[in-house]
Amino acid sequence: MRSLKAYPIGWRIMDAAEAVAAALWPARFGRSVPYLLLGPAILLVGLLVIGMIQIADSSLRTLDTSTFLPSDYYTLANYQRALTEGLFRTVATRSLLGAVIVTVVTLILAFPYAYLMVRTRSPVLRKILLIALFLPFFIGQVVRAYGWLIVLGNQGMVNEALGLIGIAPMRLLYNYPAVLFGLVQYMLPFAVLMLAPAMTAIPEELESAAHSLGANWVRAMIHVVLPLVKPGLVGAGLVVLTLSLTDFAMPAILGGGSQDFIANAIYDQFFRTSDQGLGSTLALLLVAVGSLLVGVVFMLFGAGTLASQGARR
Amino acid sequence: MTMPLSQRIVFWTIVICVLVILSVPTIVVLGASFTAGNMIDFPPDGLSLKWYSKIAGASDLWRAFGRSLYVATVCTLVAIPVGTLAGIALAKYRVRFETPIQIYLLLPFTIPLIGSGIGLMLFFGEIRLLGQLWPVGVACAVINLPFMVWAVMASASGLEPDLELAAANCGAPPLSTFFHVTLPAVTPGIISGALLMFILALNEFLVSLLLVDARIVTLPVQIYNSIRSIITPDLAAISVIFIASAVVAVIALDRLVGLEIFLKSK
Repeated sequence: MRSLKAYPIGWRIMDAAEAVAAALWPARFGRSVPYLLLGPAILLVGLLVIGMIQIADSSLRTLDTSTFLPSDYYTLANYQRALTEGLFRTVATRSLLGAVIVTVVTLILAFPYAYLMVRTRSPVLRKILLIALFLPFFIGQVVRAYGWLIVLGNQGMVNEALGLIGIAPMRLLYNYPAVLFGLVQYMLPFAVLMLAPAMTAIPEELESAAHSLGANWVRAMIHVVLPLVKPGLVGAGLVVLTLSLTDFAMPAILGGGSQDFIANAIYDQFFRTSDQGLGSTLALLLVAVGSLLVGVVFMLFGAGTLASQGARR
Repeated sequence: MTMPLSQRIVFWTIVICVLVILSVPTIVVLGASFTAGNMIDFPPDGLSLKWYSKIAGASDLWRAFGRSLYVATVCTLVAIPVGTLAGIALAKYRVRFETPIQIYLLLPFTIPLIGSGIGLMLFFGEIRLLGQLWPVGVACAVINLPFMVWAVMASASGLEPDLELAAANCGAPPLSTFFHVTLPAVTPGIISGALLMFILALNEFLVSLLLVDARIVTLPVQIYNSIRSIITPDLAAISVIFIASAVVAVIALDRLVGLEIFLKSK
């Protein structure tokens, strides 16, 4: 009994586990350890690859209107419809234009925020600015859109306030600007968190030097800070562009069905029209455009940088 | 640093606008949940907790919240081992084809969510998994996996490789080295990664919307379905759950790694 106490049960279990591990995986296999560690992640992401193959497969089948089943032969008819029908062109134009406007506005708003957050001497202010960014990020899109419904609704805050100064209630919701506004709010944390590291990398002395050489702050911004922060701006811009181009919740909730973006059109094809083939085609085209945009980020910054910037998405 | 007055005015104006834009929805939802009226109004028609007592009895909302918790738990349980192993592999080993593997593991971020959601919906439909809840958790783990890998990589690259060699030199076999040296060193990364995965899965809307049916809606989907018909303050009260969990997550993240880490340049 005494020997059992001296050699605890935990050690015995570990010894057994080591023996099993050694039998299954002798030391000479050592070089394949990293691949073994990567295996589960590769399999899990493989689900997405299978999903893409499924989308590609069903995008090549049209809906047979007599049986309401996908055809069992391949055809490019869905692609022809997706690229020629006026409805999809309208939706695509609306989403692209919206994404560009959102990107420009978001970057203009994010730049001073990131600048102040990085340059402030006060740790308390920095913390407040950081918390204000992270809180909405963790609250989720639906609850945030719900907040805007309360603010902008016909009996919402803004209209009540306008009523006090004698202005008749306006329809502030379910239009294009409302969707864009919601998207800007959703994108701001992403943009600031991608800009901030680029901003940190700029030595403050460069600006002081510009000032002492007689540049006012506008010129110092344009000629010193902006060129140096450009990679961050491009990265943030591309991420914001892709995320707002492919967003679903804001157009659905703040647009009220009249301001559909591409993602909403795809959803409708699956769940309203039940035309799986056409929906898949649109989804695949969107994936292609989105991946192209992200591909540009890779080329500009390398995959590694995006990997570590992932958390700042 | 000292800024010229005009710059200070311009920058602060924009920053205050951004702060208002960022926080108004949250504050308004919080305020609306305490209203005494029957319609959503802000400022509230007097304070009351009646909507909280109403949702306390609303079993459908609580069931939806329970499903969201379940999905988030499944997601976290899947992501922890998968992401930890991958993060350690990428941070500590020289891997052949490292760049292609990194690009591949970033697919969840490069493929738009609607694409990932539709793809998983078709695949889960094919293998007859739709209509169950755990595949939603797995889907959430897939789409947010890079967060987990990144968090573990960040702490694993701070681990001195000599420590593992020292353990081996002292006679520790590989598994003991892993459990007593490597794992404790990456634990902060695992915890913060798991936190991110849990909170993002709790909030996940679009992928949930695509993968659930009417019997198994998660809470974000339930809120979405309700605000499309009629807006009543009980939704504000239930949304406070999300606000509270976000506050907890931000505090925890700040304690664990410090929010300032996101300002560092590489």
